[in-house]
Amino acid sequence: MPTLVLKTLREYRRSLIGWTVGICAFAGMYTSFFPQIRANADLYSQAALSKYPDSVRTLLGGLENITSGAGFMQSIIYQLFVPLLFTMCAVALGAKAIAEPEESKTLELTLTLPLDRKRLVLERFAALVVGLLGVAVVSLLVVALVGASVDIGVPFGRILAAHSMVFLLVLFFGTLSLTAGAATGRKAAALGVAGVYAVAGYVVNALAPNVEVMSWLNRLSPFYYYSEGRPLITGFPIGDALVLLAATAVLVMTAVLSFDRRDVGV
Amino acid sequence: MVETEGLTKFYGKRRGLEDLSLEIRAGEVFGYLGPNGAGKTTTIRLLLDVIRPTRGRLRVLGADPRDPGVRGRIGYLPGELALEGRDKAGDYLRFLAGVRGGVAKGRVEQLAERLEADLSVRMGKLSKGNKQKVGLIQAFMHEPELLILDEPTSGLDPLVQQEFLSMVREARTAGRTVLMSSHVLAEVEHVSDRVGIVRSGRLVAVENVAALREKAVRLVELHFDAPVPEDAFRDLPGVRDLKVEGANVRCTIDGRPDALIKAAARFTVVHMVSAEPDLEEIFLTYYSEEGRHAHAGA
Repeated sequence: MPTLVLKTLREYRRSLIGWTVGICAFAGMYTSFFPQIRANADLYSQAALSKYPDSVRTLLGGLENITSGAGFMQSIIYQLFVPLLFTMCAVALGAKAIAEPEESKTLELTLTLPLDRKRLVLERFAALVVGLLGVAVVSLLVVALVGASVDIGVPFGRILAAHSMVFLLVLFFGTLSLTAGAATGRKAAALGVAGVYAVAGYVVNALAPNVEVMSWLNRLSPFYYYSEGRPLITGFPIGDALVLLAATAVLVMTAVLSFDRRDVGV
Repeated sequence: MVETEGLTKFYGKRRGLEDLSLEIRAGEVFGYLGPNGAGKTTTIRLLLDVIRPTRGRLRVLGADPRDPGVRGRIGYLPGELALEGRDKAGDYLRFLAGVRGGVAKGRVEQLAERLEADLSVRMGKLSKGNKQKVGLIQAFMHEPELLILDEPTSGLDPLVQQEFLSMVREARTAGRTVLMSSHVLAEVEHVSDRVGIVRSGRLVAVENVAALREKAVRLVELHFDAPVPEDAFRDLPGVRDLKVEGANVRCTIDGRPDALIKAAARFTVVHMVSAEPDLEEIFLTYYSEEGRHAHAGA
């Protein structure tokens, strides 16, 4: 593996471990609650419908069918909380790629190494991919193992499909953070752009079924491509995945080109 | 080794550097002087392609510094060196060495020993002086053809400063070229062949240090065994501010002390005091002259 990728992963190590532990603890714990819900199916589906006002339920993705294995996983694990935590992790790491070391001035020495600037951005991006992939693989195994232990009844292939979509979603947001940082050199810009886009994207996607204007805006929301294909039920949605990947690729190109032409650390 | 022509950098409307034409020759040590904010760091960061010129041309080691290969032949110490994180200094140096294509075995340890740097400390925990040492080690370790050092002595204690200066001398002996900046002439005058003085974003002067020293004004005091006539010392070339008080003569000399010495040789000299030429003072006259010009222009 190229030296800078390894070095970057070493820098990410502690926060990667922290986020992995957090996401896995959350996903594992909630998956393990499934038997209770299944055992009291009537109670919980009623409760879920009546406990929250309509608007909140909409934001939580409808909370339908939470007593079936796939419905439960969709609502509890893949609708909001895991993508949310994982997106926060990705955005934080994306900001560490360029913006944070530029602000702290540690980037300057790296920049004067015999490394092309384009390559510097690409290797930072590669480290982001590897790091997020690590979090994704570990959390996938936790969800799948805990799921199997409580007989959740969703085949591994479907969990893998859903988790792959989470990975692509957060890779997009992490790359957005990296790109905003590469273009501006400001950590606040990296976190702000990616954070605002994630929240707005989520809200638009959640409200789209009920609000007319949102339904075309929704085409700009990564969450639309993330959730539209229902991977837990229908398997890996290749088309949606390609949209997310293509958007990520455009961001990486933007990062490379904008970083290559600007002054660093001024 | 370094060639710039009309090199100009504006940060928005703020002038960082204007119209710098400078040539640094192979094998020389060039002291780059100026007060803080004069444009020294701007120049250096342009030479390393950290920032890009607004106008003008620059060549470093015969190529554009955008070429990564060129940067591999430079040893660079940033003016605002930042070392952070939980990595040990030694690991970081290994990383830098790896990207630069390797460093001779034992070289890092040898430099660390000379500078008394402890490489087993996490970088975030290093003191300012120790960070500077790590910065110097990484700049020197791959024995680059060109060393570009921005304020290299800042934060170093006097003994380590001496060690650093001898490292610079060795680099010159080995035929390498050094560009080092400072805001104090005294820090660089003993190792530099030439100094360039930059002020408010413009190069004010480039001087040969030996010539500068020759031009230097120095204070001389002579004590004789008997009172001496003032006539014997009046109107000697280069002698000014003459004061003869009985057996004591005090004056300042401009350039060579030859005439004064020959005049004094006719009497019996008991004691002689000659202060080191204060290059700092000459250096400051450049500044004040420039200041007057600016004032007259305004």
